[in-house]
Amino acid sequence: MRNTMKVARWEIKRNLKNKSFIIGMFLTPIIFLAFLLLPDLLSSDEEAATTKVYVNEGLGVYEQLEAAAANTEWQMEQTDVTEQEAEAALGTEEDAAYVFIDEESVETGQVTVYTNEETSSAFMDEVQILGGPLQMLQIEQLGLTPEEAGIVAQGIIFEDAAVASDDEGLFSESMLERVIPGAFAAVVMLSIVFTGMAIFQSASQEKKDKIAEIILSSLTPADLMQGKIIGYFVLGLVQVVVFIVIALPVLIWKIDFPIIEYLLVPELLVLLLIAILGYLLYAALFVGIGATMADMSTAGNFQGFVMMLPFSPFLFIGPVFSDPSGFFAQLGSYIPFTSPGVLILRLSLLEEWPWVEIIIAIAVLIVSVWIFMKLAGKVFQTGILMYGKNATPGEIWKWIRA
Amino acid sequence: MLTVEGLGKSFKDKQIISNISFEVKKGEIMALLGPNGAGKSTTIRNIMGIMYPDEGSITFHNSKGKGIPRNKIGYLPEERGLYKNVKVMDILLYLAELKDYPLDRAKQRALDYLKKFGLEGKDKVSVEELSKGMGQKVQFIAAIIHEPELLILDEPFSGLDPVSQELFKEEIRSLAANGTAILLSSHQMNLVEEMADRLFLIHRGTRVIYGPLSDVKKEYANFKCTINGTNSLALLESLPEVERVQQNGESAVLYLSKHIQPAVWLKNLPAELDIQELSIDRISLHEIFIDIATDKNLLKEGAELHA
Repeated sequence: MRNTMKVARWEIKRNLKNKSFIIGMFLTPIIFLAFLLLPDLLSSDEEAATTKVYVNEGLGVYEQLEAAAANTEWQMEQTDVTEQEAEAALGTEEDAAYVFIDEESVETGQVTVYTNEETSSAFMDEVQILGGPLQMLQIEQLGLTPEEAGIVAQGIIFEDAAVASDDEGLFSESMLERVIPGAFAAVVMLSIVFTGMAIFQSASQEKKDKIAEIILSSLTPADLMQGKIIGYFVLGLVQVVVFIVIALPVLIWKIDFPIIEYLLVPELLVLLLIAILGYLLYAALFVGIGATMADMSTAGNFQGFVMMLPFSPFLFIGPVFSDPSGFFAQLGSYIPFTSPGVLILRLSLLEEWPWVEIIIAIAVLIVSVWIFMKLAGKVFQTGILMYGKNATPGEIWKWIRA
Repeated sequence: MLTVEGLGKSFKDKQIISNISFEVKKGEIMALLGPNGAGKSTTIRNIMGIMYPDEGSITFHNSKGKGIPRNKIGYLPEERGLYKNVKVMDILLYLAELKDYPLDRAKQRALDYLKKFGLEGKDKVSVEELSKGMGQKVQFIAAIIHEPELLILDEPFSGLDPVSQELFKEEIRSLAANGTAILLSSHQMNLVEEMADRLFLIHRGTRVIYGPLSDVKKEYANFKCTINGTNSLALLESLPEVERVQQNGESAVLYLSKHIQPAVWLKNLPAELDIQELSIDRISLHEIFIDIATDKNLLKEGAELHA
């Protein structure tokens, strides 16, 4: 154990002194924030631009029209330009539209609208609301009684009577309560899984640098392997801390929501346990595979396949979102490689936690972590001293059975 | 210090080494010799516990308890290297730490040795900036930084220039003089001949020769006589005590039988022999080695007698 800690300390120190590691560590939260905030910055631009709507009407209903358009982002203005003049003006104006309403419009029910390329794309949908006051005019001209007119003008509405128990939108308060710890656990897991990929690098580098045998003259392969796993775990946590320190203040400022309050709930502990188990599983996988490879660029199909396993939860994202307690969601919770990701996603979505499933899934995870650690130990022991070539799946199988 | 008895190891169905027995004593340089693939590195890896032998035993004396006293052993493997993107001093201290050697002393020793090996001021340089020879020196320092009682060097001279070879030789000698037991594997006979106290020659995984260097030379190294001059092969072969003649133009090498008295033999040379130059010396370790490695069996009789 003492040797394990020495290796762990060394791996931590070595990486923290490495420039590319440091840059990566600070870049991750910055890129994350950039992706989060960039769409915001871009869309705010569009919101500011309002459509200028010139109305040329000869019926005296401008006020009603203006009232009808009260909820739009329009800037309405009365005008008496002719259609030709409007066409000419649109050539130079930005985001503008000309609406021509006259007696004929009421009779035929057709209104001519002139727009140009700059006009906001949603405008033609929005402009339909001007139909209301015109329809009233039509009805009036038909000579109906006010009651009759009222009924006709009301139209027919399809009322949504679905049994919506919690129709509070995707990010209602009760939802955030679960999503925030889940998102946090996901960040923790992603960070340590990505840092864990460095374990793979580190194990194969050990071979490439041919230092393995020198190191192994001082300690056992098990010490070396465990030291690496612990070392990179701590590096992953360092990454998480950096992430939080950089991202959290920005998120709090941007989202304007008591994130901390929702973050520090007991459920977070379960989610973190799942994240850590997930890390250990992938770490075992990476350290074992890393030991079978001479270097990254010569990865065979088999190694490449194993490297993809941490991304396997993405297969389940669709089904889990559409039904967090459905068959695929349960299936994903019981397959060791998808289980951490799927569980964290499910628990963030589900209101009632399926405790039996959670316990079974965690038990499956713990058992697979134990098994994979054992297997990785065997592969590591032999693989780390094999120089110059990649191990074939057949050879790996032999080491495991040895 | 170290006793190896009846060591055997096989991979799959192939026997790599069998029945290897030798010991390394305090303060001596014991050479493990053999051609490539003879089983030297396998033997050493078994001693270091990097592999486990199928049979036989390895005993470390003056170490308490079972297992390998890793802290007392310095090991320079044949396949060796260093982490690339770290500083020389950092890696030396890490390796010393793994051996539980006090860090302040390790640091002082590292600086002393760097100076000794002409690497003064390189302690803060990143390993990847070192030349191959410099890297070898750092690896050597790493192997001895914790003052090991037993030092195992697997091909320590490979890839070194003559100056560095000389440096290593001196250092190894002085370590032995200070009481370190040294197990040295090599296929560079001339170097071994100069340094080793005893040797163990291994071929195809089994022992060929084992004993003190001087005995081995006496036992196996017959005299050979090199004559420059125009002589017929028949004449040379008719000379007394000649086992084999190797003629190459004007020069001929006569391999003489064991137990001859050089002075007597020389006196009995016939007068008609054309001698422009003549030299007589023992067959060198190098020749013995080549002989064994290429299965010429020049020594076979001697070896059989010995066995």
